[in-house]
Amino acid sequence: MSAQPKVPTVENESLEDRLYTVKYEDPGESHLDVTIPGICAEKCTTYDCTSVCPANVWRKGEDGVPQIAYENCLECSSCRFACPHGNVEWSYPETGSGVTYKNG
Amino acid sequence: MTEIADETIDRTDRDTATPDYDEAFDAIVVGAGLAGSAAAVTMAKQDLAVLLIERGRYPGAKNVFGGVLYTPTLRELVDIDDAPLERYIGERRFGMLTDADETAVSISPGQWHDPPHNDSYTVLRGEFDRWFAEQAVDAGATLVTETTVTDLVREGGRIVGVETDRPDGTIRAPYVVLAEGGNSLVSEGANLKKTERPENIAVGVKEVLEFPDHENAIEERFRLTDEAGVSYHYFGEGAVGDAFGGGFIYTNEDTVSVGLAYRLSDAATSQPDPEGTLNAFKTHPAVAPLLRDARTVEYTAKTIPEGGADSIPELVHDGAVIVGDAAGLVLNNGVHLEGTNMAVESGYHAGNAVAEAADSGRPDSEVLGQYREDLTDSFVVENLERYEWLMETVKNDRELLFETLPRAMADAGSEYFQMDRAPKGEHADAARDRLLSAVGGYTGAAKLAFRYRKLI
Repeated sequence: MSAQPKVPTVENESLEDRLYTVKYEDPGESHLDVTIPGICAEKCTTYDCTSVCPANVWRKGEDGVPQIAYENCLECSSCRFACPHGNVEWSYPETGSGVTYKNG
Repeated sequence: MTEIADETIDRTDRDTATPDYDEAFDAIVVGAGLAGSAAAVTMAKQDLAVLLIERGRYPGAKNVFGGVLYTPTLRELVDIDDAPLERYIGERRFGMLTDADETAVSISPGQWHDPPHNDSYTVLRGEFDRWFAEQAVDAGATLVTETTVTDLVREGGRIVGVETDRPDGTIRAPYVVLAEGGNSLVSEGANLKKTERPENIAVGVKEVLEFPDHENAIEERFRLTDEAGVSYHYFGEGAVGDAFGGGFIYTNEDTVSVGLAYRLSDAATSQPDPEGTLNAFKTHPAVAPLLRDARTVEYTAKTIPEGGADSIPELVHDGAVIVGDAAGLVLNNGVHLEGTNMAVESGYHAGNAVAEAADSGRPDSEVLGQYREDLTDSFVVENLERYEWLMETVKNDRELLFETLPRAMADAGSEYFQMDRAPKGEHADAARDRLLSAVGGYTGAAKLAFRYRKLI
């Protein structure tokens, strides 16, 4: 017997593969935005939107304004609640577009 | 637009020939989740003409939860014998995780195996919410999907309908039930509630997993027979790092739901992102053997309003009421994780109040106020208030409860059962000393017991 049992490997799928499990219809334009880009660029130092997002929608942009990969969005709304500047514009993707969960 | 109209509605003032919905309905329900469908069923049964509006392709398409549906109120409203339930909860297990250890408590009372199974079942929302909305339609409600409510219509301060994203999408009705969920864009946009602080919101991520190469993996790993299932909750740094929250595993019929939820304020600071935290939890030595060789069927995320009783917004407005997650009706005190039962209960009381208001013709601020009173008298507000103190106390003790104590319990356990040639008494003393040192001696232990005396 070995001293330490080997922990079985759990294969965590990549985010890309995970997002691929969710049915998605592109609403055509982003349902997410920042209200005032200047707040992100000049006031924000923490970029909480990028830390809390479970789907890597929010990414630090070179000009200090986050880039938004809205087509990754799982519509959880973490970014909206997390932004300390209340600077996240969030609207529901219209007429049934966006994510469709089968299990949920 | 999907429309499921029911011919059995006998409202003489309703003109079914016109596609113009104005004045066709007594009440509009925003959102076909548990609270919304509960309200719709309740009102339709009392012969109100109800329009149930859902933004997803079908009810449940936009909904995510951990995994356990509590049914005490639900089964009074609808016959759940035909409902798409996955498994009943036959065992609840609570595990404290350090980076490498687990100390757990498990309970499985025999009576949980008998109907009504303690009113606790795993479900999948994509299936269940669709079924529940169908019950509302069967009772006479009209369901429209793929339609998003974007705003409320006001007239002289009173809410008299909704704006939707459909062409000519204004729909008027005397009463609106807001069951839009925790991301309450409509209620907030209409100044009926404020945006919650990140300290009061949890981010939840979840995967539904299947075991393609192991037909009996779920039954064998979780020791299940027939329709029995389990609810496993996990706390401590092995579950969610140093965040305030926990992890879970629930068994469905052919899949398991694994996930975690913790406060956004923690997610913003000291953590890997939620996906990374989930990955770490799944690979914990006490968790990985349960999940090995699994394949991801679905990855989901949501936010959970966990502000407790203090965060409940004004529930009653002129012409509108707020129910379910939109009203912040979620209890998470560590041991109890409840929201589905509160959603249904609130929808039921709101539906009754609206029906009463519609019938009586009395000023509805007065009659709709019955919803607030009924909810305050129900288990919903009572339980939220009962544990209000607990959340504050736990927050202040979080390092002790989620890091120091789990480690001390694991150490004391291995000390107590240490197999060597020293007398048992020495190990028992050392185990006791290890626990006492974690809580600050006998004085600290007494203070700790005093702080949590109301738990028992």
